Amino acid sequence: MDSEELGNLRDNGSYSFRNAMKMHCHQFRELADSYLGNELSVEANHEINSHLERCSSCRMELESRRSVRNALQKAFFNDPANQLRSEFVERLNNQLQNQTAGSLHHFKESNNSGRRFEPAFWIALVACLLVVTVVGLQLSRLWSNRQPVSPVIATLNSDHLANLVKTELMESAVGDHRDCAVHFRLAERPIDLDQAGQKFDAAYVNLVPALVQQGNLPSGLEFVEAHSCVFEGRRFAHVVFRYHNRLVSLLMTGNGAADGKAPLASTIPPQQVIFCSQFAGYRVSCFQTGQHAVFVVSDLPEGDNLSLARALSPSIAAHVTRAEQGT
Amino acid sequence: MAANLETVLKAQGSTQSMLFNLASSKLVENGGGWQRFESEAMPHLPSLFRIAVWLTRNQTDAEDLVQETLTEALASFHRFTAGTNCRAWLVSIMYHHQSKKRRAASHLHLVSDFDERIAETIPFEEPAPQNLTDEDVLIELQRLPRTFQEVIILADVEGLTYKEIAAATNVPIGTVMSRISRGRKLLRMGLAGYARAHGFGRAG
Repeated sequence: MDSEELGNLRDNGSYSFRNAMKMHCHQFRELADSYLGNELSVEANHEINSHLERCSSCRMELESRRSVRNALQKAFFNDPANQLRSEFVERLNNQLQNQTAGSLHHFKESNNSGRRFEPAFWIALVACLLVVTVVGLQLSRLWSNRQPVSPVIATLNSDHLANLVKTELMESAVGDHRDCAVHFRLAERPIDLDQAGQKFDAAYVNLVPALVQQGNLPSGLEFVEAHSCVFEGRRFAHVVFRYHNRLVSLLMTGNGAADGKAPLASTIPPQQVIFCSQFAGYRVSCFQTGQHAVFVVSDLPEGDNLSLARALSPSIAAHVTRAEQGT
Repeated sequence: MAANLETVLKAQGSTQSMLFNLASSKLVENGGGWQRFESEAMPHLPSLFRIAVWLTRNQTDAEDLVQETLTEALASFHRFTAGTNCRAWLVSIMYHHQSKKRRAASHLHLVSDFDERIAETIPFEEPAPQNLTDEDVLIELQRLPRTFQEVIILADVEGLTYKEIAAATNVPIGTVMSRISRGRKLLRMGLAGYARAHGFGRAG
């Protein structure tokens, strides 16, 4: 592999291996960051994987670079200067919603009349809308003071976006992802998922086929393994995936409803997938069914984590709901 | 109520809002709407804010920049292609706004190749140390030239691809890749030097 070929490999992510010799360590070092960033072609990744299998010093080098990348992400996510103020998020949500509502009104008006108006008309219209909105807000506040907020409003709450649901369950889910999927240092050995299903929770049985074998997995998400494990006394069904070379855990546990206890996951909206929180450097999205809370935990960016949770949720919800109803 | 009133006044009373309303009627026309925007774009709010803080170096200015970005994104959401990377699209809008602001403030942004030359002189690399705190990492990041910080944050923290970074920052992809590679190298060296100076290194 000469320097020109190496440059092509890094710059384009593509490389013809027809004459490829074994990769050398200095070549690996040139490509290691692109490899970590998932910027290389399948062939290039394969070549690097082969090199890593036989070179322990490059494995250490890769781990070292990965640790810098993770440390940087963690530091940036945790930096107090980078935390959104809840007042700002609330104000922003209100503004965007109001403007959407304003545009809808404008569109209907212009469609109905079919004529163009002078700017003065729009100013008057906006002024009228303002008065109507203010009066409407006052009245709706008076009338629905104690009524629950609508689902749309509920999802716009600032806490939902910045730091949504910090529950005991969520913290356990993150701990389980870290200690089981990432570091594999749980105190109790994991057991087979179906076996756990017979003993502890019927919803665990056939969970993997419901997820994996119906072609429901989002593009790029690769099944790694599934089992049932215990983190600090709480049992989870744990399905591990890989997405862009990062581990993603799907963790399901009882929300307490089946035992007649006060639900531990009361802050998680039912059947609605939300981004919960950033916690200990991991991103968590969650939703719950009647008796279970489901978490997707990873170190992916929030948007990716949430998208994966949304993509996985229909098949899980259908399977778990069937199990909860005993059908 | 006061906060709501203020929001409504801001949202509906300003010229900007009127222009927005005219533009976003296209959104309604095309069957888009807040709910789709909320599910596609709003989850990226924390990420946008982090980038905005870095760009503006000030939380208040960052909030303004995020607000302008999302306002414009909502108005032109009909142009967003479903299935593509929404965060990269939002970051592009944010960079466009930021460059407009810079021009308006007559703060010419000169890109010096001095930073690039610094990186070219890197002789070798030490293994990255462990046991560093978040603060140590951020200090070392801030010591890098701004052009390197930018691409590292976009690539390694926010997960954008080289191509997306090139599109957002309006910098050729070759330059992006070169800056990322050199920036990472400098960061690792900086962290190793920091660890050495403070008497800790690799674990084990």
